[in-house]
Amino acid sequence: MFKFFSACRKESLILIRDLAGLIMLFLMPMIMVTILALVQEQGWSSLSRDPSIPVLLVDEDQDTLGAKIQEGLKGSNVFKIYTSIDGKPVNRETAKQKIAKGEYNIGVIIPKGSTGIIRHKVQVMVTQIVSGIMMPVDNPFLDIKVNDSINILIYFDPGIKGTFKYAFMSTMKEYSMFIESSMIFSSFNTELRKMFPQYRPPKMDYRESVFFTEIFPGGKDEKAIPSTTQHNVPAWALFAMFFIVIPMTGSMIKERDEGSMIRINTMPVPYLTIFMAKVSVYAVVCVIQFILMMLAGRYVLPLANIPSLTVGSNYMGILLMMVVSSLAALGFAIAVGTIARTHQQAAAFGVVSVVVLTALGGLWVPVYLMPEAMRSLALWSPLNWAHVGFIDLFLRQATIADILPQVFKLLCFFVITISIALLYRRVKSPLNN
Amino acid sequence: MQGKAIIEIKDLVKIYKGSDEAAIKGISLDINQGEIFGLLGPNGAGKTTTISILCGLFNPTKGSARIDGMDILSNHNAIKKIIGVVPQDVALYPTLTSWENLTFFGNMYGLRGAHLREKIAEGFSVFGLEKHADKKIANCSGGIKRRVNLIAGLLHDPKIIFLDEPTVGIDVQSRVVILEYLNELNRKGTTVIYTSHYMEEAEKLCTRVAIIDRGKVISMGNPRELVAEHPEFKDLENIFLHLTGKDLRD
Repeated sequence: MFKFFSACRKESLILIRDLAGLIMLFLMPMIMVTILALVQEQGWSSLSRDPSIPVLLVDEDQDTLGAKIQEGLKGSNVFKIYTSIDGKPVNRETAKQKIAKGEYNIGVIIPKGSTGIIRHKVQVMVTQIVSGIMMPVDNPFLDIKVNDSINILIYFDPGIKGTFKYAFMSTMKEYSMFIESSMIFSSFNTELRKMFPQYRPPKMDYRESVFFTEIFPGGKDEKAIPSTTQHNVPAWALFAMFFIVIPMTGSMIKERDEGSMIRINTMPVPYLTIFMAKVSVYAVVCVIQFILMMLAGRYVLPLANIPSLTVGSNYMGILLMMVVSSLAALGFAIAVGTIARTHQQAAAFGVVSVVVLTALGGLWVPVYLMPEAMRSLALWSPLNWAHVGFIDLFLRQATIADILPQVFKLLCFFVITISIALLYRRVKSPLNN
Repeated sequence: MQGKAIIEIKDLVKIYKGSDEAAIKGISLDINQGEIFGLLGPNGAGKTTTISILCGLFNPTKGSARIDGMDILSNHNAIKKIIGVVPQDVALYPTLTSWENLTFFGNMYGLRGAHLREKIAEGFSVFGLEKHADKKIANCSGGIKRRVNLIAGLLHDPKIIFLDEPTVGIDVQSRVVILEYLNELNRKGTTVIYTSHYMEEAEKLCTRVAIIDRGKVISMGNPRELVAEHPEFKDLENIFLHLTGKDLRD
């Protein structure tokens, strides 16, 4: 056992002596997590706090529809509405050019007479209904047909994301339906007043008759809204953790190139002892890295007005997940470091495979948004297992028993990768060539 | 001190993967206990390959070898305990100090505590390295690195020591100290197997030499006896050139 501890001491000394490398090892992941969480947060949830998406509005209608759409878009707190550029009112042509050049993301053209068409359509519809009450048979109004429709043009910057386009279109449809309903309500009131002069229209906002309450079952406070930080920080922290493949494989290949591994191979010490020592020391590095990234989520992100990371209360569970995730990352690194013959091979394969495993694991795009085939593949990514484990702990107040399936899978991954490394070394090591 | 064969090599062949030609082609030789045995040969002759097989770094393609009566293929661990290896290149951790390197390698041989500290201090004393104990290997001169590299293979008092060109690239003073120490070890009963390009050094140091070329042993015997057998060549270097030719090797 003392050979193992001696090898651990050697690994620690080598790590500590490379102070710049050590600082990079801890600082870079923190910077990465902070910046990526910041970018993602700003990209989505902060939209509601800071209207930032520029929309060019060309209101040729100059009536209720145009005014209501403008009011609705402004009220959403997502869009910044421009009806003029450099003091000149925006017209169709300018809007088209500006969007084509990418200076603005969205342009909305409300054609002239749009409100008139809606008003006429509603008027006919209300008349048909009211006259139907008055004249149940031989109602001449029922033969009136209104074929006019409004075509609101929406210009999109080609670079805009599909999901965002979809969200914008939904918002626009919601506004137009609201406006149509308001007009129907108003027309009914007008007709009723004609029929009953004493009639006073009620003051009511029918939009408020349906409410939506977000419930997140599983949490202590089911109405507490989980922040994106709780999704993003563990995701990016795991991504950074798996990048341990670079320093770890670097250390293994350097040891081979410098010849010290050859000397060790002539000594009465099993290879397993040497690389388990390496795994142990680097596991401590991974756990410290992860804790620092969590601290960045907790204390640094709030400085940028991003919700602070809350991690639940199962600290033993979090520690267990950190350790097994580290082992999975290190097992992978050991396998890559054993198989790769050069730094270039290890770096190229290591980086690409970590990126692929991260993408597959649903750390960038949620698994439920992936195509069917990719969803099945996601279940095989160790990053997915680790992420699911942390999300369970952070958001669902999971117990240790709840995360055991993820712990088991990560441990199996560690054992399999280590076995691959040992087997490869025995069968195909350059030493046996 | 010389006795029975401590190393027995029989028809040893090594063909590296991807290579058409064997690096060693049926080498057979015995090395007796207490000998200083020199493996001499031009570049690519097969010296390092032979030593590497004996140390357990490579498996032979064919043939067998026994060290202290143990087959090298089935007794790796037991053999590793009784051999010391000094690789051709400096095999140390550059960011660790000389002392830290030797402590680690000593631990890997199973040494620890006061005994290990004494062994390291003894090595430092013999090779005049006391004031370099706390210096990182990366900051040491080539000569110091070579000497630390040598001590690392000797800490556990091995029965047999393999040295692959231990005096390459060092000054005369360091070379003399190293060779004197090897003689001293040999007097205490350690069998020394070493490779070298320096014929004069081998002639003085070795009790027997084997001249290897293109993977085969082409001559073997006591260097002084070899010179006596070929009086026309005056010294071992001329015999070597006569046997291996003057063609440049890769």
